[in-house]
Amino acid sequence: MKKVVIENAVVIKRDRLNGDCRSLTIGNFPKSRLLKPGQFVHIRIPGPDVYFRRAFSVYDINPRAKSLQVIFKIVGRGTALLAELRKGDRLNVMGPLGKGFDFPFLRDKVILIAGGIGMPPIYFLAKKLIESKYDRRKILFFYGGKTKKELVNMAHIRKLGIKLYPTTDNGSYGFRGFVTKAVREFLNTETGQFRIYACGPQAMLRAVEEIARKYSIPGQISVEAPMPCGMGICQGCVLPLVSGGYTRVCRDGPVYQFGEVLL
Amino acid sequence: MKPDLSVVIGGIKFKNPIWTASGTCGYGEELAEVFDLSRLGGMVTKSITSNPREGHPPPRTTETVSGMLNAIGLANVGVDRFIKEKLKFLERFNTRVIVNVAGAKLQEYVEVCAQLADCPRADMVELNFSCPNVEAGMAIATNASLAEKTVSEVKKVFPRPVIAKLSPNVTDITQIAKACEAGGAEALSLINTLIGMAVDIETFRPRLTNNTGGLSGPAIKPVALAMVHKVYKAVKIPIIGLGGIRNYLDVIEFLLCGARAVQIGTALFVEPETPIKIIRDLEKYLSRKKIENIQELVGQLRIY
Repeated sequence: MKKVVIENAVVIKRDRLNGDCRSLTIGNFPKSRLLKPGQFVHIRIPGPDVYFRRAFSVYDINPRAKSLQVIFKIVGRGTALLAELRKGDRLNVMGPLGKGFDFPFLRDKVILIAGGIGMPPIYFLAKKLIESKYDRRKILFFYGGKTKKELVNMAHIRKLGIKLYPTTDNGSYGFRGFVTKAVREFLNTETGQFRIYACGPQAMLRAVEEIARKYSIPGQISVEAPMPCGMGICQGCVLPLVSGGYTRVCRDGPVYQFGEVLL
Repeated sequence: MKPDLSVVIGGIKFKNPIWTASGTCGYGEELAEVFDLSRLGGMVTKSITSNPREGHPPPRTTETVSGMLNAIGLANVGVDRFIKEKLKFLERFNTRVIVNVAGAKLQEYVEVCAQLADCPRADMVELNFSCPNVEAGMAIATNASLAEKTVSEVKKVFPRPVIAKLSPNVTDITQIAKACEAGGAEALSLINTLIGMAVDIETFRPRLTNNTGGLSGPAIKPVALAMVHKVYKAVKIPIIGLGGIRNYLDVIEFLLCGARAVQIGTALFVEPETPIKIIRDLEKYLSRKKIENIQELVGQLRIY
């Protein structure tokens, strides 16, 4: 029955990335090997100011080092405090939580779409696909930000040996325009059996689902919602379902099939 | 010698006074992934109504200073599915199950409790007279004669102990408490959440679509303690205290103020293992203070 672990973990590395983005590598989490792409960890922010835990998609794991890595953007008090942690600081981590991505068929051409700080689970998925012997040449990574500053860890993505299509809204780097526009242009010239995975702002996910409908491509999105408990108990993070009723993002998601949630 | 943590409420023995509060442990399924529910004295389920309820549109929760505002809107699976699936799941655990019941009117409480009467796994019912997010709940919560009538009608159909859960959003909580006692309630639980509001200054909108919500968490503990003590002096039936409990120190405060058992609520969202830590720490405290039975602490507050 017992599946979720709660550990007093420790910061083993922190990095300042582009703009307001930060990276934390968290050690002393023996079950890191169980974390799947699309799943998240619920982190207790040290200090009296913040009451609830904060949910972060996993960016990477190192099972041998019993560690995991998250990348986040400073958007409020919780993330600001998290950004102040240093190597050696303790922090309480709960996980694995949520449902991750379903893997594609081996024959599929995989289109990965990441918008802004939605990149971490998409990177983790790309990495796991390659480790699982998916053909690198069939994985395409579209990564969009408002400006170049929003694109982080591009060297990591490049190192995976997959085709990377960076885009910026203002054209400060890569393709100029929304990441979904780049995907649309790509699909206008390419044919094949595709599968799409996307994580990013809600407007982007809506556009992704529109594209998927137009080209009849199956796939999944990972959505974001503030989560008090992270385990499916409080029902505070719900989103409406297309079929009616609500879904608990933390437990039934955060990964959903296209057309499942009302975006 | 190991101290005795057991307590008796409404003639039913609980292995310890630590319960989980309604709405903060669902139907037990998720929490069972973190610890063995059999270690709890009791578990109070999410509110059950006659029909399934989807609840309010999101956002339903928001964080406040030392607390949480929620307006879930009694989302639940309805009594039929609850009995078929959720109560069945709880059969495997050796803990007391208290089913929290909510209704849009008196008759709904009676109907749901009548169905639960045939389910021995429902050791007790707790009548939610105090959900601040649903109009009908508040009507009973603030009306002594209606509260008394509801308890007495439920008593006619439910053969095991009945707890009335009281709202702090009233002028004088002791009036409602006495009315529930007169209606035949075996125990009272208090407090439910305090009505509160949080505002987004960018959009000029409340942070919850319900506009207001129920405030819980450490922020409300002093209010809860004052009310528990006030009610303790006013009634003879046992009190189950709740409101902002995070650790064993909080629990002892509630016991001293007159609570015979306590419920852990919002703390479960932050630290799901809270009840287990509290039980362990209570044993240590009692050993250190050479107190044989935890019930010796109940109401021992020395007021000025």
